[in-house]
Amino acid sequence: MKNNEIQQRLRQEAKTLLEQGQVEYIVGYETGSLKFTTTPLLTNNKDDTDRLIVNPFIVNNLSVYLTELKGKIGIVAKGCDSRSVISLIQDNKIAREDIVIMGIPCPGLIDLKKVELLLSKDRDELGDITRDEDRVVIKIDGKEKNFPITEVLFDNCLECELPTPQEYDVLLGEPSTPTSGNVSKQTSIKELEATPREERWNFWKEEFSRCIRCYACRNVCPACFCQRCFVEESEPQWVLPTPKWQDNLIFQVIRNIHVAGRCTDCGECERACPMNIPLRSLARKMYEIVDELFQYKAGMDKNALPLLTAYEPTEAEDFIR
Amino acid sequence: MKQELGWKPKLLGFLCRWCSYAGADLAGISRKKYPANIEVIRVPCSGRVDPLFIIKALRLGFDGVLVSGCYPGDCHYQTGNYLARRRMAITKKFLEYIGIEPQRIQASWVSASEGGKFAEVVTAVTKELKEIGPNQLFTDEK
Repeated sequence: MKNNEIQQRLRQEAKTLLEQGQVEYIVGYETGSLKFTTTPLLTNNKDDTDRLIVNPFIVNNLSVYLTELKGKIGIVAKGCDSRSVISLIQDNKIAREDIVIMGIPCPGLIDLKKVELLLSKDRDELGDITRDEDRVVIKIDGKEKNFPITEVLFDNCLECELPTPQEYDVLLGEPSTPTSGNVSKQTSIKELEATPREERWNFWKEEFSRCIRCYACRNVCPACFCQRCFVEESEPQWVLPTPKWQDNLIFQVIRNIHVAGRCTDCGECERACPMNIPLRSLARKMYEIVDELFQYKAGMDKNALPLLTAYEPTEAEDFIR
Repeated sequence: MKQELGWKPKLLGFLCRWCSYAGADLAGISRKKYPANIEVIRVPCSGRVDPLFIIKALRLGFDGVLVSGCYPGDCHYQTGNYLARRRMAITKKFLEYIGIEPQRIQASWVSASEGGKFAEVVTAVTKELKEIGPNQLFTDEK
C-alpha cells in the first residue's frame, strides 16, 4: 500500500477515535519546518488530524510522550516504536488499555544526512525524494537520479528485526519485511571490538570530549523515564554538571545500563545528538550483550518481566569466582 | 604500562552483610593471610550494588572493584544475588566494550563459613590487578 493511502486511513482512523471519544489525544507526525523533515503532532482537536502524515522521514519515536500525557492516547507507531510501547507496558509505566496503537508497517526510514553525503548537496537543493520499492528516486534540477534504497536508509533500519508492529489495535497497510538484504551487520561495532583495549578507550575518550551534556539523548529516549536522573542528584553528586569527558562517559555508560533490556535500537539517541557522537554503537552493543547472555529482546512480549527484574537460577556464572 | 615505585593496587570490595562480610570477618578471626589491598564497604545485599558504584570507584582511582555476595539460592532476601548477577554480567561486558580492563571488575560468591575462600579471592584479584598495573583510565585531564 502506498504512503498516501496509509496516510488517508490514518487521518480517518485518528478522526474517528477522537470523535467517538475513544482517546483524548492523538500522537502522530506532521510536516516539519525544515525541508523533508517531520515533527511530532500532539492534539486533542479532531480537525488537526488532517495534518497527520506518513512518509519515509517520520523518524521520531513517539512513545516518549506516553509517560507525559494523561488519559487515553492514540499513537502512531512503527515497528521499533511499538516495541518501545510494549516495553513501557512491561515496566508498568502505562496500561495497555489506555493506548490505541495505530501500527504502520515501516519499510525503513531515509537518513537525510546520507542523502546529502551521497549527492554532495544540501537538502534545500533537492527537489523531491520518493521511494520506489528497492530504489530511491531523487529529483535534482528537474532531473531524476535513483539509487539502491540501502544506501540511504538509517543504519538501524538496515538492521531492523521488526518492521511491522506486532502489537497494534489497527494496522494501516500490509505487513512489510526487513529491508536489510545483504547488508553486513554491525560492522562498526565489530571493527571497534577488534582494536586493542587502549585504542577503544581512547576512541570513546575522544568522542565524549565533544559531548556538551545537553541530555538530548536522554530526553528523546522512551526507555529513559526516571523522574529524577542520577546526573542531577547532588547528594551524593555522582557526576559534575560541567561537561568533562570522564563524567560524560560515566553518564552515557550508566544510561545504557539503565536502559538495558528496554532499548529497542530505534536510533533516536544518535539522531538527537548535536555533536554526532556514535551513541547507537553503545546502544546496539548493549542490545547484543543482552540478547547473547539472556536471549532477551526488548519490547517483544508485553507479559514478560523486565530484563533486570527477572532471573534464571543458572545463568551467566562464568565471571564469578 | 609503567608502574610507579612501591605502587600497590587499591581494591574496593562491596560485601554483602549476610555472607561475604561475615566470610571476611571469619578470615580475620581464623588468622588467614591475604593482601591488605582491599577496602571494604558493607552493603545489605549484593543486589544493592549499582553499576554506578563500580564506575564511580574506578573514576575515583580504585584499581579494581570486587562485588561479593551469597551463593545462588542463599540470598537473605531470596533474589538479590540473582539480580546482582544479571546486572554485573551486562556491566562487565559493556565496560569491556568501552575499553576498561575486565580484570578491574570482579565478582565472587563467598559464604559466611568461607573465610579461606575470601582470603583466596582477595589474593587472586590482587595478583591480577598487579599484572595489569595502576588504573590510569580517568587521569587524562583535558
